[in-house]
Amino acid sequence: MAIIRPRLNDYHNLPFRQEDVDFAIPFLDEDIPLYVDPFLLWKIKSQQDNALHTSIVNSFNQLGHLFVKGNESDAKAILTELTECNEAGLGSSKTRQGKKIGDKTADEILSLFKSIPQINKQGFQHFEEIQLLIDNISKDRISDITCSFIKSFLIDFTIDQCQKMGIPIERCNVSLYDYKTNKIKSEETYLPVNPENKQPIILIPKRWLRFVPWINYDDYFESYYIKDVDKTYDGKLNRVQILNFNRNNYDLVHTYISLKEKNNQELTNDPLFSQIPIVSSKRKLKSALGLPTGKTNNADKEYEDLMVQLMSSLLYPHLDFAKEQSRTDSGTQIRDLIFYNNRSYDFLKDIYDVYESKQLVIELKNVKEVEREHINQINRYLSEQFGRFGIIFTRNKPPKSIFQNTVDLWAGQRRCILILDDSDLQLMCEVYESKQRHPIEVIKRKYIEFTRSCPA
Amino acid sequence: MTEKEINDFEKIQAQLESLHSEISTLTKKSSNDALNKFKLKFVNQTISEANKILGKKYKPFNDFDKFDDNDLPSNSDVTMMLGQYLNCMEKLRGDNVNRNSYSNTWYWLIDGKESTIKTAPPQKIQNK
Repeated sequence: MAIIRPRLNDYHNLPFRQEDVDFAIPFLDEDIPLYVDPFLLWKIKSQQDNALHTSIVNSFNQLGHLFVKGNESDAKAILTELTECNEAGLGSSKTRQGKKIGDKTADEILSLFKSIPQINKQGFQHFEEIQLLIDNISKDRISDITCSFIKSFLIDFTIDQCQKMGIPIERCNVSLYDYKTNKIKSEETYLPVNPENKQPIILIPKRWLRFVPWINYDDYFESYYIKDVDKTYDGKLNRVQILNFNRNNYDLVHTYISLKEKNNQELTNDPLFSQIPIVSSKRKLKSALGLPTGKTNNADKEYEDLMVQLMSSLLYPHLDFAKEQSRTDSGTQIRDLIFYNNRSYDFLKDIYDVYESKQLVIELKNVKEVEREHINQINRYLSEQFGRFGIIFTRNKPPKSIFQNTVDLWAGQRRCILILDDSDLQLMCEVYESKQRHPIEVIKRKYIEFTRSCPA
Repeated sequence: MTEKEINDFEKIQAQLESLHSEISTLTKKSSNDALNKFKLKFVNQTISEANKILGKKYKPFNDFDKFDDNDLPSNSDVTMMLGQYLNCMEKLRGDNVNRNSYSNTWYWLIDGKESTIKTAPPQKIQNK
């Protein structure tokens, strides 16, 4: 099944939307570009999450303790093992496979427990501070270490969610951190499995995810270091020098962390998708309507860019956006917009049942008049994963002969191709603003008009 | 018309007027915006009742019974149609009322005879 950017639920044919579930729906062939921020676990008003944060920090400090006590190689081995959590599938990897840190970096991290007296004495309060003290440590490592420390909890969460949503689980072995013995061990459990590489998958609660952790190097540098520490910054110091400075002046880092703790009101999780504001949709609509047809001054590219942003927001939450400008397997053709068909609306269920539309393809045509070739082009895409339903978005109403062409296509091959134009886009934006109707209903209206024109 | 029909007429006419005025306001704000499902449901209910009262003779359009929710009728579509219904209701009323020549008051006709139910003068006379 060649679904574009497949997600776990698409593979198992489970029609839930991202909005309906508490976890981030994992992709099968790439990572979710978000990270677990341990600071959220500390902040959220939930005893469970706070306790998990405490256990993460305690476990991390325990590793430091082990290192200081002389079990350096054990501590480094455990830490190295914890720095990658492929089961979580978070980050920017295109393959869902990450690399662990090297022995040198592990040594650098754990040496902090020896070299910084405050840490030696009382450990870390927020272990993500290591981003400010060690080079080559950033959000992906912090996220993976967090997930590894609480993997046992995440496995329980995953099993619970899988039972709720009907996701199949299989017996598999995962390595996890044992809180009691402070060791990594292998455990047999039941988890959903990536059908492409048989790797177990762990689901992550949405409430813990952010694009950038609350404590991060860039924020420290821009909003604290230059402002409060080095007011006459001449731009000469590089990252390594600043990290050295931080290690030697840990009190400053500690103050920064205290400030971040105090100002945590703005800290929230990042949504996996956020719609564009109404003002922005109006501006984009105006720009799209004002574009000339054809390719003059790259108008076609601009039209596509505007439409991608508009359609992904207008059709949310009924359709989750999958990908723009996706190539066919041969790489010769490009499909403009692809949405997952979650069957979350009666019309979407209809096209799934009647036309086997698992993913919805929208072709964008910034042309004065849709031609027969455009219909043939989208018709060629309508293969197994897209089913037999497609949409062309263009600038003007199609001529009667072209509309008749789509009706004939339905009569001959039972394929449904809808052609929407600027007036439909305008109405979609209008209802997006007024909230009187859902923009998807405009597509439904077109579909019903089309079916009325089809021969009985 | 019977007394019950007159009662129903007055109720539906008042409802149509109220809907017309409400939706006219929306039309002024945004004429092409689609009317929401909740409002459309009650517009359709009122129109169906009006159809019963008007019958074939007074119904504004033979091929219109009510709005199809799937067609996403716009505010201006609905305002236009409600206006048509109000005019046809008024035409029906105009044909079923009579001015008492002694009291100069308008009364409904029941079975062709002047009743005791008062009414306003027909609009076309008011407007003269």
